[in-house]
Amino acid sequence: MEIIERLSAGDPEKKKYYIRLFLDTLEPELENLKGADVAAEQEPIRAIMHKLKSQVQTIGAKDAHANMAKHEQHIKSGGRIDQAELDETCQLLSDLIENLQELLK
Amino acid sequence: MSKHLKVALVDDDIPNTEVLRDFLIRNGYSHVDKYHDGESFLESLDRFDERAVVLDFDLSGGGDLNGLEVLEAIKERSPSTHVVFFSGQDSLEVAVESLKNGADDYIVKSNAAFALVKTSLDKVYDIQVLKLNERRSQRISWMMAIGWMSTIAAVALYFAGK
Repeated sequence: MEIIERLSAGDPEKKKYYIRLFLDTLEPELENLKGADVAAEQEPIRAIMHKLKSQVQTIGAKDAHANMAKHEQHIKSGGRIDQAELDETCQLLSDLIENLQELLK
Repeated sequence: MSKHLKVALVDDDIPNTEVLRDFLIRNGYSHVDKYHDGESFLESLDRFDERAVVLDFDLSGGGDLNGLEVLEAIKERSPSTHVVFFSGQDSLEVAVESLKNGADDYIVKSNAAFALVKTSLDKVYDIQVLKLNERRSQRISWMMAIGWMSTIAAVALYFAGK
């Protein structure tokens, strides 16, 4: 969040603008992850995690970033993640989205 | 101080591209364009003559071209354009392959990534300024030489007439 704080330089509307930008991607991609079939869709799951990990890093969500970076690398090197691991990622993203939505109020 | 270096950001990551663009503008880069796929950027390349491109390696969420294909097209059409690969892949092999294919820099998306992109662009800008100053000095040297030669010729003509 540091970069967003710095760029918005105390302007709350600008900060909200950046937060909405990230939410516009995070919310639909969370739904995609929740709806993914973990048995058959490892590659689409990896692609979503690859896309989101940079964004959550910019926001400063270290746990979510580390979680997705780990899973992405695991799938890329031929491994698989299970439903419990996917659920954990979804929970981290869900918490992050909730926090961001709070900041918009 | 405004830095007159045309920069293009090519990345399918919409929010991060927007934030990076604002970050660069805040740091003096007055002309920063953004594109979310390789095709639309390449269409504009000839028209806008970008001097530096920050290019996402993956680009899988935007268009059919990947970063390496866009890099190849840039180097074919505009070899002097500085290309910074901006990638989520923290891999030495990918970095080496990018540099072998003509990329000028490879930056992994991380907490410090925006500052690193700025540093890379600053180097391009500094080189551009140096080249401009060099051309100016050369022009001044030529003008001085012509001035001296004209003076000598005028003096010679004066004495020849006497």
